[in-house]
Amino acid sequence: MAGTDLVAAPPRTTPGSSRTPAARRRLERGALYLVLTVIAVVMVVPFVWMILTSLKTPQDLAATPPSFLPAQWAWGNYAEALAAAPFLTYARNSLIIAVSHTAINLVIASMAGYALARLRFRGSELVFIGFVAALMIPTYTKIIPEFLIVRFMPLFGGNDILGQGGTGWLDTWWALIVPGAVTPFAVFLFRQFYLDLPVELEEAARLDGVSELGIWARIMTPLVKPAFITVALLTFESSWNNFLWPLLVTRTDSMRVIQVGLSVFRTENDTQWAFLMAGTTLATVPMVVLFLLGQKYFVRGFANAGIK
Amino acid sequence: MELSRRNFLVAMGLGTATVMAGCATTSGSGAPAADASGPAQGDITFLCALFEGATGKETLEGNLLKQFKEKYPDVNVTVDYTDYGSLNEKITTGLASGLMPDVVTLGVGWIPPFAYKNAIAPLPESLATRYTYEERVLEPSRFDGKLYALPMVLDTRIVAYRKDFFEEAGITAPPKDWAELREIAKELTVRDKDGTLQRAGFDPFSIDLRQCWETFLFGNSGELFSADGREVLFDSPEGVAALQLFLDMVADGSADFALTTEAGQPTTLQQGTSAIMMTNNSLYVQLQQQNPELVDKVGTFVLGNTAPAMLQGGTMISQSASSKNPAAARALVEFLGSPDAVLVASEQRGSVPAISDLRDSDYVKGNPMVAFALENLGKARSEGGTPAWMEIREKIKPTLETAVVGQQTAEQAIAQLAGIADDAIARL
Repeated sequence: MAGTDLVAAPPRTTPGSSRTPAARRRLERGALYLVLTVIAVVMVVPFVWMILTSLKTPQDLAATPPSFLPAQWAWGNYAEALAAAPFLTYARNSLIIAVSHTAINLVIASMAGYALARLRFRGSELVFIGFVAALMIPTYTKIIPEFLIVRFMPLFGGNDILGQGGTGWLDTWWALIVPGAVTPFAVFLFRQFYLDLPVELEEAARLDGVSELGIWARIMTPLVKPAFITVALLTFESSWNNFLWPLLVTRTDSMRVIQVGLSVFRTENDTQWAFLMAGTTLATVPMVVLFLLGQKYFVRGFANAGIK
Repeated sequence: MELSRRNFLVAMGLGTATVMAGCATTSGSGAPAADASGPAQGDITFLCALFEGATGKETLEGNLLKQFKEKYPDVNVTVDYTDYGSLNEKITTGLASGLMPDVVTLGVGWIPPFAYKNAIAPLPESLATRYTYEERVLEPSRFDGKLYALPMVLDTRIVAYRKDFFEEAGITAPPKDWAELREIAKELTVRDKDGTLQRAGFDPFSIDLRQCWETFLFGNSGELFSADGREVLFDSPEGVAALQLFLDMVADGSADFALTTEAGQPTTLQQGTSAIMMTNNSLYVQLQQQNPELVDKVGTFVLGNTAPAMLQGGTMISQSASSKNPAAARALVEFLGSPDAVLVASEQRGSVPAISDLRDSDYVKGNPMVAFALENLGKARSEGGTPAWMEIREKIKPTLETAVVGQQTAEQAIAQLAGIADDAIARL
């Protein structure tokens, strides 16, 4: 009869893996930090390069091979860039437009997304297909028709009821904020998020007598925060960086935005890189500040989105 | 086909503009002359693609428009700044919506399209003779025999070379034709032991390929269009040969499409990675700012194969045909076309003043490349020449590039381009 060997077998070891679990964890953590450091450097280098370029003289910019640090720190580039145009006004305008777009998009697009996802009404599928189709229209094909709508807006800017005689919404906040405030992409995204929520929540709320607006605002919307954070970030960023539309619908400095202002440094024959980078650095500051203020929420939002 | 912002805008915008503008007037017969006989007064807008850069706004509004205001106190000018790349879109949307700016800056080649669409008003012929202009300079300001614009600044495409590289190789004079160019370029091309290109003999690709090809087309006695702008002529053997020259130089290793530099970057000539390059007269200002040690080492010449030719770009000033204050708009056009304004604008951006009388100014004397361009304005040729130019010009570069990167032959690329141009002209 074969006896049972009660002595536990020694742990199997393979050559080269004699590290303790703690040592292995340290090694893994070290490798992780190394990879993260490399990624962080790759992400940060363009910004550092932008700031360093903004502080270079024309001779430094022409150096072959390019120098990393300026030989002479040209802090005056910032003063000269700021003197070229009213950049504070441009930045204020960009901020107003970006915040307005973000707020409007979050409210209207989430309502539309909720309606398309949770409410049954005749033609809802058709409306949704319309939104999806709108996603596929290239932006630039819409510019001329949108411009004409803005220009002939009745009863604005001296226009009569038929939209004639004045300038409509041109060179006003209306033209800068209303067109493009609600994006089909945001509606689509919100619809997909609302679709995934359990129907029991909605039904329970209805049984408790909560209105449809209340269900959207108090029951369902708090559960799709990641969608709100994603849409908010994308809307703010795209609005802040918009160039062509603000250029077309405005003509006075008081209505111009930061990206249009920065284009002054790109001339037909030349680009004044140091001034452009100085202006771009300043234009980037609000976005960086925004992120620093809200990074806890952003990270949490993306983490939740990942879990979802 | 390349799907770009401009393609869409040109196709849709000008189409819309034609419908909108065409409702009131007929195209092709020229706009009615604006009545500018009254007193210069009222509010006008000036769509401006000049006076860019860090000092542009101050130069225009702090200097020139103050002088204008002193002369015309009852005229209020609102300046609508735009970059040159978006100028066409601004004009197109303005035209489509019936809100054309009173005074506009236009590029060389742009007069026929916008005059044909009655967007701009003819100017009195007397403005063509009040100062001395080279006839070549005024050519792009005319359409259908009438003057529609006053030239302000010119940007010429010339050939620049490194004198020190020529001296090292014992070459005493710049090439006189394409055969000499190819020989010299081969001689000046430098490769390391591995065969990696260290210095190209010739860099034709650091300026817009459209403008570069046009320069060589004209230098080979070719033409873009017939005099009435209704027939494509660039698909001639001269046009094909101009493009083939670039392909041959890439093939023999004396040119490299990968060497292109962006505007504002140190050019290949500055970096020493080319010995000869196509460039713009504004290179001199760039040299002064970035590489003052190279100022004396860079020379310029006008190249041709059968006829020396220098491409002339530039910016002109024109008056809207629908201005509500035509006298005020005319006053601003005349003011901006005067020597004082032209000189200030040229100096601010390193361009060539369009008025020949200014060749004795300190600015021209102090800028050898500008002086060189002024001396050679008799050899200047301009692009455009057809009312369909705005649509055609955007297609030239991408079509030519297909040949440079080997997707099709030079003959095929030029034939494709001619087809596009024929279609655009047929739609007029």
